[in-house]
Amino acid sequence: MTSARFPMPQGTLDMLILQTLSRDAAHGYAIAQRLEEVSRGAVHINQGSLYPALHRLEQKRWLKAEWRPSDTGREAKFYALTPAGRRQLEREKADWDRITTAVRLIFNEGA
Amino acid sequence: MRRVLNILPWRRARLEHELDRELHDHLDRRIDALLAEGLTAAEARQQAQRELGGLPQVREAVRDTWTWPWLDALVRDLRHASRSLARNWGFAAGAGAILALAIGTSTAVFSVFHAVLLTPLPYPDAARLVAIETLWPATGELTPAVSGPDFLDWRARSDVFEITAASYGNTDDAVLVGGRAVFANDRFVTSDFFAVFGQTAAAGRLLTERDVPSGDAEPTVAVVAHQWALTHFGSAQAALGQTVTVYATRLEIVGVAAPGFRYPGVTDIWAPWRVAGDPASRNSHDYQAVGKLSKTTTFRQAQVQLRTIGDALAREHPEAGLKTAALTPLHERVTGEASTTLWAAMMSVIVVWLIACANVANLQLARATGRAREIALRAALGAGRSHVVRLLVTEGGLLALAAGLVGVLLASALVAAIVAWPPVDLPQVGDPRIDGTVVTFALGLSAAATVLFGLVPALQVSRLDLSAAMKQAGSAATASLASTTLRSVLVVAEVALSVVLLAAAGLLLRSLQALERTDLGFRTEGILVATSEYAVTGTPSDLRARTAFYDEVLGRLRAVPGVRAASGVAYLGMGREPRALRDVAVLGRPEAPPGERPQAEFHAVTADFFRTLEIPLRAGRDFDATDTMDRPQVAIINDALARAAFGGASPLGQRIRSGSARSPWMEIVGVVGDSRWQDPSRPAPPVIYAASSQGVGNSLAILARTTEPDPTIATALREFMRRANPAVPVRFETMDDLLDDTLQYPRLRSQATAVFAAGASMLAALGVFSVLGVLVGQRTRELAVRRALGAGSGEMVALIVRQGLRLVGIGLVLGLAAALPVAHLLTGWLYAVSPWDVRTYLAATALLGASGLLATVLPALRAVAIPPVVVLHQE
Repeated sequence: MTSARFPMPQGTLDMLILQTLSRDAAHGYAIAQRLEEVSRGAVHINQGSLYPALHRLEQKRWLKAEWRPSDTGREAKFYALTPAGRRQLEREKADWDRITTAVRLIFNEGA
Repeated sequence: MRRVLNILPWRRARLEHELDRELHDHLDRRIDALLAEGLTAAEARQQAQRELGGLPQVREAVRDTWTWPWLDALVRDLRHASRSLARNWGFAAGAGAILALAIGTSTAVFSVFHAVLLTPLPYPDAARLVAIETLWPATGELTPAVSGPDFLDWRARSDVFEITAASYGNTDDAVLVGGRAVFANDRFVTSDFFAVFGQTAAAGRLLTERDVPSGDAEPTVAVVAHQWALTHFGSAQAALGQTVTVYATRLEIVGVAAPGFRYPGVTDIWAPWRVAGDPASRNSHDYQAVGKLSKTTTFRQAQVQLRTIGDALAREHPEAGLKTAALTPLHERVTGEASTTLWAAMMSVIVVWLIACANVANLQLARATGRAREIALRAALGAGRSHVVRLLVTEGGLLALAAGLVGVLLASALVAAIVAWPPVDLPQVGDPRIDGTVVTFALGLSAAATVLFGLVPALQVSRLDLSAAMKQAGSAATASLASTTLRSVLVVAEVALSVVLLAAAGLLLRSLQALERTDLGFRTEGILVATSEYAVTGTPSDLRARTAFYDEVLGRLRAVPGVRAASGVAYLGMGREPRALRDVAVLGRPEAPPGERPQAEFHAVTADFFRTLEIPLRAGRDFDATDTMDRPQVAIINDALARAAFGGASPLGQRIRSGSARSPWMEIVGVVGDSRWQDPSRPAPPVIYAASSQGVGNSLAILARTTEPDPTIATALREFMRRANPAVPVRFETMDDLLDDTLQYPRLRSQATAVFAAGASMLAALGVFSVLGVLVGQRTRELAVRRALGAGSGEMVALIVRQGLRLVGIGLVLGLAAALPVAHLLTGWLYAVSPWDVRTYLAATALLGASGLLATVLPALRAVAIPPVVVLHQE
């Protein structure tokens, strides 16, 4: 574990999980792998906080889960977005865009 | 919602299982990946677990998302508490049953209390409605009625009312409806009557000023009650345009009142009327008046103003006596007598509930002390004091909540029983039922019980000396002195409260007994009572027709086999309003000043009345066929009046007059014994009997003394009456039934109190027993040593019993001290028993003392039954 990698910014894990699942369903391990890969290792996923996050999103009914055979043939718990989860993802992405735009504007102003 | 459901054990188990599978699946996949990278199996497993960050921590973090942590903790506490209760199921069942009974009865009584006393009358602005009444300042007596002139003057001179109305009427009047004769309650009301109550019609219209007859004319229209319309016409609409005949007056039904409106009492028919202002009637309190206070007036202001006006009028009309106006909130007037009964019942059940709580607290304390080691162990293992308290309170709360729920079920059954119970005639305010307020009350009792018997012992126990408790061998950890004291205090309180209830029950039971044994002065057995109503307008020919009617019916009845005597009486009291006492004047004697004149009730009866009731004829003769309307009026008086008005002299041949100077002089032709046929609960008043055959009095209740109960006699009488006049309604009862009815309230009060008192005493005895049991248990070793050193068993028993009896004794003394003022409050309900009745207090003391003694002797005997050697070996 190299400490050079980013710790996950507060509150963004949920959004990233939703985004990861926006293409297709996946089990917990695959989600962790995918996040690591896509961020090219720049984002460090604390696997310990992944499962509480998944369960929290499931309780909020943004995700639904079902057990089914995975590529290895073993049964795994697959998470998928619900329509509510998809709407939530859109909201969070829009919020994120507004914030980053605002922050960039402020940075540019300051420069 | 899902978060709440997730505390359910089976959901919880599934979630745990799936989480486990999920996390292991993750680890397996990671391990496979690491193995592929070339790590050894052991290294791969270690790294995978390290990356995940510790299985237990992850699990805990995930669990927190399933439900709220506090809910989880609560569920854990509850589970723990229920396990602990289940282990002590004997205690749990016993304590739970005691509490459930106490909460159930309290809740049932509260639901009635709430419906009658805490619910506003079902009219708009009910809080502003008042009864306008007459107060006699000299005696403080309140007559719940007004005279016509008073009412008009009070109304004209005051400005506190938005609107007022007056009414008079009769219950059980003869009414012809659709050719059938029925009893009905009619009411003649001023045109604003319905407006006072904010009523609208269910069909047709209500009464207006134009309906009020002018001068001597009779009213022509009426409004009837919704229920009455349904009974007689099938629907409210069908009643419109129909005719009812009240006292030979034909009234066309122009409207039907809203469902449920029956004021006053259970009125069936309202007809328009105008209050007569005839100055001569200033002392005839014929009307019941109601008013709605204006929005800007408080009750006190209105009361003060009316009092001032009433006082002024009393000065202007001294001949009418010293009287004034008084207001009573209408709610209070309607709930009247029921209110005191309900308050008493409420207080009694709360006392029983308190005793139940004290008892369960005691049991809980005894248990908690027995568990001192367990608790000390928990504390030693790091459970904070608050944790220990929480555990015990949860246990108490769980027990109380379960008891509360069972109590509510019990209460709903009890309420149904109370409402359906004939002697309980509740004022028409609200319907007793188990609603939100009542359930809240029950849960409030549960919560309060938790505090009383859960928190107190918990705090007590958490103060235990931990190291001392740990050092104790076995389970016999000694309670601190403080907890023993607390338990003693609880027992003393239980005994004291029980004495209060027992004494109250004793006094009420003795009153009931006295009432049942009272010599009524006549024989009630075997008398058939046929209440009838012959409507007359008061013309001489009408009165003659009525006399002829009753003569004919009585004549036929006397000929029926099995009828030993038959007669009639115009007003058979028996629990109804007593007749007013009227002044009596004797011809040829100077009249005494008002207030010092002899007074008597006035009753009209037929010949044979005294023979029917078996009231002895002391002198002179009974009424007979010669006493007709064409002859001078005659009277028979009873012993009480003979003594009061004539002393030792013979009243026969004297002439007397009852009431005003306009009444005729009547010659006394007979004297009869005193009797209580009007009201068994009052000493026989002085009475003047007049002959109804001389046109005096109203319709008659026909009395038949039969040799044995025979239903065919009633059938025959009904047929005689129908043939003589089909417009006369009749209703049959027996004198014994009527007498029994008058005892219903005293019986209800005494029996209910007796049940509460019995429950309380048993609980108190149980309390003494359990505390003594614990005390003895604690002293087993000491007692064994003493006995090993030569003390006799008898001595030991005496030692323990003395200790127990001291508690009982203190309770008895405190209880007696508290019972005296309570008994004083009951004075109004006592009959022939003084509130300071020594025998009752002695009996209550003896009863509790005896059960207390039994409760102390048993543990003492048990203690000495174990040989000292056995006890000492155990140590």
